[in-house]
Amino acid sequence: MRNIFFNKWVFPSILLVSSCTNLFAQNNTVVDSAILNRLTTLEQQVNYNKPGNDHIMVVGLTTIGFADIKTTNTLNGIATTAKTNSLGDADHYEFSPMFLWRHGNKFLMEFEPSFSNNGLGVNWADVSFFAAPNLIIRAGYFVLPFGAYSKRLAAGWIDKLATDPMGIAGMTPTDYGIEAEGGLSFGSMKMNYDVALSNGNQLLPDGTLTSGNISDNNNNKTITARVGLLPFSNSSLELGVSGMFGKVGDAGSKFENAKGNMYAFDLNYVKTFNPIFVNIKAQYNIVNISDVNYVNPLDATQTYTFNNHSTAGFAQCAVRPGGVKNFLKDFEVAGRYTSYNTPSNSTWGSDQHSVSIGLDYWLSWRSVIKFTYETFTGNSTASKLLNAYTGKTETNTLYLQFSIQL
Amino acid sequence: MKTDKSHYLLTLGLLMVFVVFGILFINGCTPSKEVAAKTGVQLWGENCQRCHNTPSPSTYSPEQWETVGMHMQTRALITENEKNKIVDFLKTTH
Repeated sequence: MRNIFFNKWVFPSILLVSSCTNLFAQNNTVVDSAILNRLTTLEQQVNYNKPGNDHIMVVGLTTIGFADIKTTNTLNGIATTAKTNSLGDADHYEFSPMFLWRHGNKFLMEFEPSFSNNGLGVNWADVSFFAAPNLIIRAGYFVLPFGAYSKRLAAGWIDKLATDPMGIAGMTPTDYGIEAEGGLSFGSMKMNYDVALSNGNQLLPDGTLTSGNISDNNNNKTITARVGLLPFSNSSLELGVSGMFGKVGDAGSKFENAKGNMYAFDLNYVKTFNPIFVNIKAQYNIVNISDVNYVNPLDATQTYTFNNHSTAGFAQCAVRPGGVKNFLKDFEVAGRYTSYNTPSNSTWGSDQHSVSIGLDYWLSWRSVIKFTYETFTGNSTASKLLNAYTGKTETNTLYLQFSIQL
Repeated sequence: MKTDKSHYLLTLGLLMVFVVFGILFINGCTPSKEVAAKTGVQLWGENCQRCHNTPSPSTYSPEQWETVGMHMQTRALITENEKNKIVDFLKTTH
């Protein structure tokens, strides 16, 4: 009875289990081999694509557009009107590839050549050393930390309107020098700092300033610094204050002791009030140059002087219904008021104001089509004695612009 | 004369601002628990839009995000910790 049970049930069961084990073992061998081959291939692919210490990439931007301009100038009671339009929008066309070259995680080189209506130039060419968690040291040719607009907001695909606010970018030099910057947290607030030492501005014979000279025009270096405070933990508000101080006169010239004292105040506020995203920017620049005697352009034996004090400021607000679920989320409306005053009784004095309104359509997060309508009023405050007075100028311009970051 | 006085006042004001920030800097820069606990996606949403629209993670490869992250740290002056969290988020979501 026992043998019958063993022969009928136990022995076949052992045979079955044994067969199955062998079968699975054989299959496992086959599967393991395929997996190993696949793993080897994947490892080779991963190794092939492993990043090295260096990495070079090209980004950049381009902006192109159309401008339809109507200008009316009134001088001595006589008004003249001109209408022009141009493809390429000469003042705002730009093609600027930017080369980023990362060497490990400590060095970054940035080089941005730019082709525009002014020809081929360089926006910046510098190397940054990430010295400590919150300390970056930069050297080369870079935008000085004066206000926030030029360094952060001027790119066509960032700016909500087709034009730059008058005077703001012109007062922010790009210069040769060294710079230290970084961001810091304390409590629920953050701050950032940016200090640069550079060759500085150069005072020209008419009292205007130029910059970006690799050879300094004097033995004095200009210090430019900005500190920003973000008082809220969500980083929605940033308040910045900047100063730029240094001699601007050529060594050995009668301008030798002329100094420039400049100040800038900026504000940046972004906040979503669902479904509306609100974006407010503002900046106010002040430029003061020492009183000096300038050569009279009409008579080189005579001199004249004026209070070389300029200001530029803008306030801008943009709203975008980014939280809605339909096509409206890609539209943004923006408005800006700009004021720019240059010294009266100089040869370039003016009191200028502009109002810009715009409608943007975002094709992607970094490409935009902008319609901007801008009215400009400029009252000349230039010296009549120097035949520099140009009367009143009024301009109405419609811009259609496309800008993309690549 | 009035302009000179305003120069001195503005310079004094700026100096005070730098001194205040200097003291804060010297006293140590420790984020609050709430700020320290922020995730990469939170920081990405809060900081990028200060200047431009928030970028899609698929825009660049993980290696490119490392480079772009360093570039943006020099522009926006976000902290090292914020940069690392944002880049990690963009790399892992890529």
